[in-house]
Amino acid sequence: MTRRRLALVGAVLLVAACVERLAAPGNCPDFCPSGQITIVDTLLTSSIHRDSSHRGYVLAYQSALMLAAHLPGATDTLDGRPIFRINGYGARMRLTSADTSTGAILGADSARLQLYVVRRDSATRNLRLQFYRLPVTIDTGTTFSALVSPFTDSLVRTVNIDTLLAQAGRKDTVTGDSVVVDSANHRFVLSLKLDSAAARYIPTDSGTVAYGIRIAADTLASIAFGKDAFGPSLQWYLHVDSLGTPVARKPGPLGAFATFVFAPTPAPIDSTLAVGGVPSAHSLLRVVFPKVIRDSSQIIRATLYLVPAVPARGTPADSFVVEARNVLADFGAKSPIDLLLGDSVMIHPGATDTVKIEVTNLLQQWAADSTRPTVLLLRPEREAQIFGEIRFYPSVATAFRPTLQITFVRRFPFGAP
Amino acid sequence: MTHRAGWTIAVLLVGPAFTGGAIAAAQDSQFGIRGLGTPGRWESVRSRSTGGAFGPFDPLSPLMEAPLADLGQLTATAAGYTSTRDVVVGGTTTPLRTTRFPLMSVAGPVAPRLAVAVGFTTYLDRSWDVILRDSFMLRGVLERYRDAIASDGSVADVRVAAASRLSRRIAIGAGLHLLAGSTRMTAERRFDDSTFSRVQQSAEVRYDGFGLSGSVLIGVAPGLSIAAWARSDNRLRAKVADTTSAVTDLPRMAGGGILFAPSPSARVAASVAWRAWSRAGAGAFDTWNWSAGMEFGPRRMPIRLGARGGQMPFGPGTTAPTEAAGSLGTGRAFAQGRALIDVGLERLERRGGGLTERVWTVLVGLTVRP
Repeated sequence: MTRRRLALVGAVLLVAACVERLAAPGNCPDFCPSGQITIVDTLLTSSIHRDSSHRGYVLAYQSALMLAAHLPGATDTLDGRPIFRINGYGARMRLTSADTSTGAILGADSARLQLYVVRRDSATRNLRLQFYRLPVTIDTGTTFSALVSPFTDSLVRTVNIDTLLAQAGRKDTVTGDSVVVDSANHRFVLSLKLDSAAARYIPTDSGTVAYGIRIAADTLASIAFGKDAFGPSLQWYLHVDSLGTPVARKPGPLGAFATFVFAPTPAPIDSTLAVGGVPSAHSLLRVVFPKVIRDSSQIIRATLYLVPAVPARGTPADSFVVEARNVLADFGAKSPIDLLLGDSVMIHPGATDTVKIEVTNLLQQWAADSTRPTVLLLRPEREAQIFGEIRFYPSVATAFRPTLQITFVRRFPFGAP
Repeated sequence: MTHRAGWTIAVLLVGPAFTGGAIAAAQDSQFGIRGLGTPGRWESVRSRSTGGAFGPFDPLSPLMEAPLADLGQLTATAAGYTSTRDVVVGGTTTPLRTTRFPLMSVAGPVAPRLAVAVGFTTYLDRSWDVILRDSFMLRGVLERYRDAIASDGSVADVRVAAASRLSRRIAIGAGLHLLAGSTRMTAERRFDDSTFSRVQQSAEVRYDGFGLSGSVLIGVAPGLSIAAWARSDNRLRAKVADTTSAVTDLPRMAGGGILFAPSPSARVAASVAWRAWSRAGAGAFDTWNWSAGMEFGPRRMPIRLGARGGQMPFGPGTTAPTEAAGSLGTGRAFAQGRALIDVGLERLERRGGGLTERVWTVLVGLTVRP
């Protein structure tokens, strides 16, 4: 019996021993530790230097999108025109999959062009697409000026998106066009019927065709088309010669080489810090990181202040994100970017307000790893996917130079009585 | 063989104290946050159940060395306790709870007139956790935050003591004290505004110090003994990452006691102690502490009662905080007296600077005589 009681007491004590609760509200200063957490906030006005800009990281043909815009401005018009080339099947094609005999392609009845509109301004009204036949020689080096002539005299189709959307079932029974609204992915899938005049299959050109798109709207004419998996594709409806008898064939759709041309081209890089645009521009800011902050403190907030030298340009609806990142090594324009951490800010075209980017993550990484180059890289989040570009004052502009505001904590006086 | 095994146990028990691995801590107190910590009570469960009055005469209490001379055989002891503490300040009561193991010791005779002991007890407890809610202007905005500053650990007093009975009436003892320990300290601040990262710093603070003590036990008459002791510790050095962050002078202290045993089944005792904690700097006070207690009934299962009072060494204001406690307990011998379990219950109240602490403590001690 005594042993049982002792065992019970022991069990109770063991359970009680498992609980530890020491946290109590502080009644300072009488019943608080003498050491306190000390926060310091400092503005580094002259720590950024040797800043520079470089352009050409992502070119138009490397972009994930084809940009289309027609936005008249005070001095010029931003005009972006998607262009794409779809290679054909050649002069002959197999008649059946059962044997290898081929027949000459006599021509096309029609074709169906599929396009993805992946970005548009919902405020745009009366949006029209104009399709032009382009030379099949377009490639990555094709410029806006080289296509002025075909974009003037080779109109093959015009489609009014708003009208098409208003049709019953979003299908135009007269033209054969249709549109599918993919609200989950915020995109339209356009399916346009091209007659034999618009879609000319010329066997001597291997059936290759090329088209360009100009857009127009009452206001805010700016959209983006998809590329690659969401790029233009053409479904041909062909006539093929079968021992003197024309037979209809519908081969599988073909993808396209796609890019876009635009005017005006961005202003050349100057002493300002340019970010964005097409081809995309990056800026590098080298920072003298004070040892007192690096060695003996914890950074809890760091903010980079940048003053725009000119209003941010770009299409009004296309606000864009500028991100700040660290680099793995400072090789100037070719510095490899650390993709693990990044801080960003939204830029609104036309804005001239001072831009603040919270770069706490990046500076904490500098403090944790002294081998890191203390270089901040500014780049657009979606390179060459927007026309937007912003230019900031560089460090040589004393009154408006980039500055860093750092809030850090001094080392807690551990061990002090 | 028995002695060898006993000393092996001793090394196993005391070793962790040297390596900082020991969990030895006294009773925490909010009064120790601002100072060096909360001083430990160098008493076994038996002594503490009598308010500490039997401490100068108890060979298993690491207060005095001279009583070791009367320890007839190798003895190991350990103590643990769980306390619930209500901290009352500004009309707000916060319940806290801790469990500690403040005492381990092995002692025994090594020669006809010589006994030695090794063990550790808590010198200063430094476990606390303070939560603060406040705000301040930062970047032109009033930023609210919550601080949590915590310390977890203690300074242990590792004692090597020797005692000798010079005559039938007089026994003397001396001890060498190595102060060693560490605390894991953390300071954390969370801003309501999440754009500020969480502040989190931590460090392990290691402590070391050194002390000497001596004591004498005199049998004045049959059943009547008096005891006196003195101790001097040099300084407590705090080091963070091998850099000395603070050096604090430690107190000299002295005390005495009287024990009267009118019969084998009744013993009463009283003791007093003085400690010069004011050497530790601002906010530290010299302290006086007293205790009185009695033990009655058969030695196999006695009843113990006690009371104590006095001052705390650290606190706000110009006067030392005070403490008063009452305790009771008992013990039970097993296996022909080779094993003893002591249990006790203490009610303690501390006051000072507008803060009151009320503590219930359950004490458990285990003594083995292999």
